[in-house]
Amino acid sequence: MNRAALLGLYHADRVLAWENGYSITYGRFLSDVEALADLLPEKPTVINLTDDRYRFLVGFAAALVRGQTTLLPPSRAPGALAQVAREYSNSYCLVDGTEQVEPLPSYQIPKSTGGQNDTVKVPQIPIDHPAIVAFTSGSTGSPQPHFKTWGSLVAVARSTGARLGLMSSDQMTVVATVPHQHMYGLEASIMLPIQHGMAFHVGRPLFPEDVRVALADVPSPRMLITTPLHIRACVTTRSRLPPVECILSATAPLPRSLAKEAETLFQTRVYEVYGFTEAGSLATRRTVDENTWHVLDGITLHQESVGCSLHAPYLREPVLFPDLVSLQGPHRFVLHGRGTDLVNIGGHRGSLNDLSQKLNEIEGVQDGVFFLSDEKGTAVTRLIAFVVAPDTAAEHILSALRTVIDPVFLPRPLHLVPHLPRNETGKLTREALLGLLQNLHNEERHGT
Amino acid sequence: MGASWLDPHRRNRSVSDVSPLEAEVAKLIVRTLTLKVDPAQIQPEEPLFGDGLGLDSIDALELSLAISQSYGHQIRSDDPDIVATFASLRSLCRSIEKHRTK
Repeated sequence: MNRAALLGLYHADRVLAWENGYSITYGRFLSDVEALADLLPEKPTVINLTDDRYRFLVGFAAALVRGQTTLLPPSRAPGALAQVAREYSNSYCLVDGTEQVEPLPSYQIPKSTGGQNDTVKVPQIPIDHPAIVAFTSGSTGSPQPHFKTWGSLVAVARSTGARLGLMSSDQMTVVATVPHQHMYGLEASIMLPIQHGMAFHVGRPLFPEDVRVALADVPSPRMLITTPLHIRACVTTRSRLPPVECILSATAPLPRSLAKEAETLFQTRVYEVYGFTEAGSLATRRTVDENTWHVLDGITLHQESVGCSLHAPYLREPVLFPDLVSLQGPHRFVLHGRGTDLVNIGGHRGSLNDLSQKLNEIEGVQDGVFFLSDEKGTAVTRLIAFVVAPDTAAEHILSALRTVIDPVFLPRPLHLVPHLPRNETGKLTREALLGLLQNLHNEERHGT
Repeated sequence: MGASWLDPHRRNRSVSDVSPLEAEVAKLIVRTLTLKVDPAQIQPEEPLFGDGLGLDSIDALELSLAISQSYGHQIRSDDPDIVATFASLRSLCRSIEKHRTK
């Protein structure tokens, strides 16, 4: 059976992780993985909820060694975790705190033991082992599972590294503001480092000042894995970041003007990565230079009658783009925007139909719809909901929604209305919803 | 979990003494996060995050930017007081008062 190494490069004394200025070496990591792998229960699937990036990686690697699959729930919302727990009932959880997903058993990953056993060999993982399951919200309700083989994760990490020139560079250290339980976070802050002998910071900085401190805590050269939101925060506050070799951004389009500001202010190169759950990261661009996306080596694009498809040696079958793109040959494309049903809020992808369906399942809701208006004004786009629920308070609907959807999709605001402007066929057109929104704004302005 | 901003039973309570800064920051929060709530209804001692509207980390980031722009206070999560800072409108204002540069 074909296998690929857990680590792309291995030197026992090389640093893998930085935690409060202390380093954890690759050698110690392998000892930690071996020790944990012996302790894991005999179960096929694991939900790894650890916040600490190093402990997540130890849990992920130990699961791989044991032939287990790590599940990446679509969000931390209790309802989303409960649904994954129901569908994969023979799972267990790995945590670094006291989190529980009833009724699954939880195990706390111990702090690194501190030992380094030089006789430990780098584990070789079968390339067709399903390493992770990522979920996307389908348009019909329950999350759709997507199995990712170990071979596909390794291939994406290596081709991303080759594109960014990581093969030849000095050992970079990654600081990431994105969660490692998210596809982009897993690929960029876990897989990319371990396949290129890089190091990472164990934390997940949020505020610009956190980002500055985390970067200052690790040696140069540094790489920042982040999102347009965090880049804008650092630019707006004129953060005095330590030298950063490059910044990687994903989850939403990065405006070119912002990329330019960031490159000038932080004396760095800003790259964007484009991907989606079904295919993983698949293209990059240097935002200041080009509008066109360049696919990673090994990927080819094809125009089909229903849209554009992507072919890669590690994908069992071609995958259709969820977004509107136009091809410029087999290796380049221009992104035109999201399909009408899919929305991306703060890096979380959701389906408006799915959200509306969940809204309509709430007791007391007679009719309801989620809606994304084009209104600008705030930096982060949020969804709006129109709900017909004569005997129910908006507060009640919001708290019911909280248990079933990712909090980023909670409507801002939720409008209670007497009825929805459905047409004769029962459809809600975008124009009708925009009209309803306009009417509500007018009423507010007139104080009625 | 704490009571929400929008807890209907609390809406009609008289607002306890709100300082001018608290009133100003309440407006800033509502404007920044496009909340559909009257700033005067935000109870100074009630939790900002958690149930109800469920402010999340994106909101925290947005809010930290607005605070930094308006008051020059850079919020950090490894600040030992961070949990206390975002606990309520009142504690947030205490932190702004202490660190503001404008």
